[in-house]
Amino acid sequence: MQPDPTQPNTEATLSVRGLKKVYQTDGGDVEAVRNLTFDLRAGELACLVGPSGSGKTTLLKCISGLMAPTEGEVLLDGKRVTGPPKKMAVVFQEYGRSLFPWMRVRDNVELPLKNQGVPKGERDRLVDDALEAVGLSHVPRSYPWQLSGGMQQRVAIARAIAYQPEVLLMDEPFAAVDAQTRADLEDLIRVVWKKLGVTVLFVTHDIDESVYLGERVIILSSSPTVIQEDIQIDLPADRDQLNTRSLPRFTELRHHVYEQIQLAKKGHRPAAASAGETPVKGQRAG
Amino acid sequence: MRTARNIGYILGLPVLLVLVWWVSTLGSVNFFVPKPADLVETFGEVWFGDRFFSDVLPSLGRLVVGVAVAILIGVVGGVLIGSVRWLRSLLEPTLEFFRAIPPPVLVPVLMLLMGITDSMKVMVIISGCVWPVLLNTIEGVRAVDPVLSDSAHTYGISGWARVRYLVLPSASPQIMAGVRQSLSLGLILMVISEMFASSSGLGFTIVQFQRSFAIPEMWSGIVVLGLLGVAMSFIFQWAERNILRWYHGQKEVENAA
Amino acid sequence: MSSETLAAGGAAPSVERQRRKAGKGAAKQLLGILGIIGFLATWELIPRLGLIDERFLPPASEVIAALVVDFGLTAFWVAVGETMKAWFLGLLMAVAAAVLLGFIIGSSEFLRKATNSTIEFLRPIPSVALIPLAVLLFGVKIESSLLLIVYASFWQVLIQVLYGVADVDMVANNTARTYGLGRMARIRYVVFPTALPYLMTGVRLAAAVALVLAITAELVIGSPGLGREIALAQSGGAISGMYALVLATGLIGVLINMLMRQIEKRILGWHSSIRSEVIV
Repeated sequence: MQPDPTQPNTEATLSVRGLKKVYQTDGGDVEAVRNLTFDLRAGELACLVGPSGSGKTTLLKCISGLMAPTEGEVLLDGKRVTGPPKKMAVVFQEYGRSLFPWMRVRDNVELPLKNQGVPKGERDRLVDDALEAVGLSHVPRSYPWQLSGGMQQRVAIARAIAYQPEVLLMDEPFAAVDAQTRADLEDLIRVVWKKLGVTVLFVTHDIDESVYLGERVIILSSSPTVIQEDIQIDLPADRDQLNTRSLPRFTELRHHVYEQIQLAKKGHRPAAASAGETPVKGQRAG
Repeated sequence: MRTARNIGYILGLPVLLVLVWWVSTLGSVNFFVPKPADLVETFGEVWFGDRFFSDVLPSLGRLVVGVAVAILIGVVGGVLIGSVRWLRSLLEPTLEFFRAIPPPVLVPVLMLLMGITDSMKVMVIISGCVWPVLLNTIEGVRAVDPVLSDSAHTYGISGWARVRYLVLPSASPQIMAGVRQSLSLGLILMVISEMFASSSGLGFTIVQFQRSFAIPEMWSGIVVLGLLGVAMSFIFQWAERNILRWYHGQKEVENAA
Repeated sequence: MSSETLAAGGAAPSVERQRRKAGKGAAKQLLGILGIIGFLATWELIPRLGLIDERFLPPASEVIAALVVDFGLTAFWVAVGETMKAWFLGLLMAVAAAVLLGFIIGSSEFLRKATNSTIEFLRPIPSVALIPLAVLLFGVKIESSLLLIVYASFWQVLIQVLYGVADVDMVANNTARTYGLGRMARIRYVVFPTALPYLMTGVRLAAAVALVLAITAELVIGSPGLGREIALAQSGGAISGMYALVLATGLIGVLINMLMRQIEKRILGWHSSIRSEVIV
């Protein structure tokens, strides 16, 4: 799957074309993202993985319309994203800070719908379904901070589901929960994705997680970021923590992604993207 | 057993202090310090009568109106100034200066501008109490968590909904801290405005007692002011506990971790 | 894509950026000064346009001129000195008493519980309730001011010290104990540093409150100082003079705030640096 940057993919839900982001800081300009182009088809579950500091969060903020890219554009259903679009929901890593601490779980999930003017009856149904889907029907009256980290992140996911987005963006959502909770939440994402047919872009720094979750893994280079490699994950659609992770193919894929990330860390860049680029000092591993 | 001990903790020291007071005034006839029994008797005579309606209630009314208006102006102005960056930069130094002026000096100024009227006394309370609420609201609005703000943004929450569901609740701990300062300031200003320029009200009455050397009556007035302060503090704490239940709960969880 | 142009000229934008950032800070200050000028201009115009009678609200220029005249008068500086003396002595006494009592009460569970109800009852009593008592006991002497100032400031500091002492980290305290630090050593090395930021907050709040009460006492009771001068100017019809003195009290308030923040920053420098390390 090698998209042509000049031709927006017509069947794509989400298109990122030539995206570049330069931050202006005290110490001068920092080029976080150099040139990123990729498409997500409707209903795809893609993982974005890269070494730490590879501009993953920057990319996500640009896609979600929270931040304007320096160059390039993001298209959702062919329309350019200039602010947070209605059809998109974002789950942040910092669950403790993305939920409203002054609202109970149910009110947190309900708020975006209420704000959209969704009628009460439908709202209740959507909220109930979403809480049910993440397995939290029993705590609607609790405050978020009364729940464990994993449960708080479930609330954030429920809020995103209830919003009925076409595209669900997740920014390292499980980076701050313990390993067992994490496994549960990964399976939850697979289930939700299959049930709702939503397009998911899942950002992570965890290689195992990207291979286990994704139908496709997009590997980013180190900063300034370009796409290192874009691979399809040909694992069976029904995945479970024990069996999938012990498949030989899983190990192969994991191995491959790991190697690519190591290369990326050493500063190796794919031939296409590095053409005409000034070498960064001491980083040519080539 | 446990409740008995708690009651002991709550009442122990106050009872001890009253006992000391009682014993030390037993034999003496100190002009300045009344006996506990005399004070209780005077208190009833002085304050449960016409004076309650002619002096206490009007004072309280002015206090409530003044503080309420000050809170309203402070919160509305604070949200506005706190959300607009250039407005904040423009006004902040001037507002800081106004907050630094000791509010009691407003009494002679407003007396000059408005004469000795009820609205002058209310105005004194408003113009003294508005600053803590205003500046705290600005600070609270500015400090909204960026992740929370992003979350609201991605769900298309903007305009009035953003103020209602994000900005106001998020700034409410700071706003309440400002309100607390305003309440005690309001009580002080109420008393001063009546002591300085009035012919009625709590402050005036107490000063009258002092000038006519009606010592037990004067003390009973001090007790009334004290009780008023304590009552306001309890009402505030009750309101704060309800409004900021989430905040205290969250802090507790964070501190336990 | 013109990515290479930026990568090549890495140094140039940084300088420009710094200039821009410095420009931003300057712009903010400029706006602030603009705000003050705007306020003074409004004040100047209101009486000039006759919205409020000049006899009651003289234009800003007249008041500032009166303030400048005040700056040349010995009587003005004597009044400032009286006010500051009461402020400083009152604050000092309140802080000393509150720190002593705060550490004693705070470090004993029994004392904390036993004094809680009394403190919560005495604290909200407005210090102005003591004005008649002060007049009766001390008349117009500085002791009247001190009684009010000490009573009001004492609670601010005491409450903060109690919070601070209660905030001591159990792990830190237990660590100190396992290394054999005695009670006094723990107060010195664990309790005191923990409580210090709270104490400073208390002192900063108390400093503002002390000024309010100093002025109040002078205004209402008539003990010597700026407050009394304001009352005299008002009743004597020296209106510009009165506004000038009000401005002077505001300036003193600002100076006290700035002074307190400086002291806090100096003393708690270590604190903020440790904090930011923990967060990152």
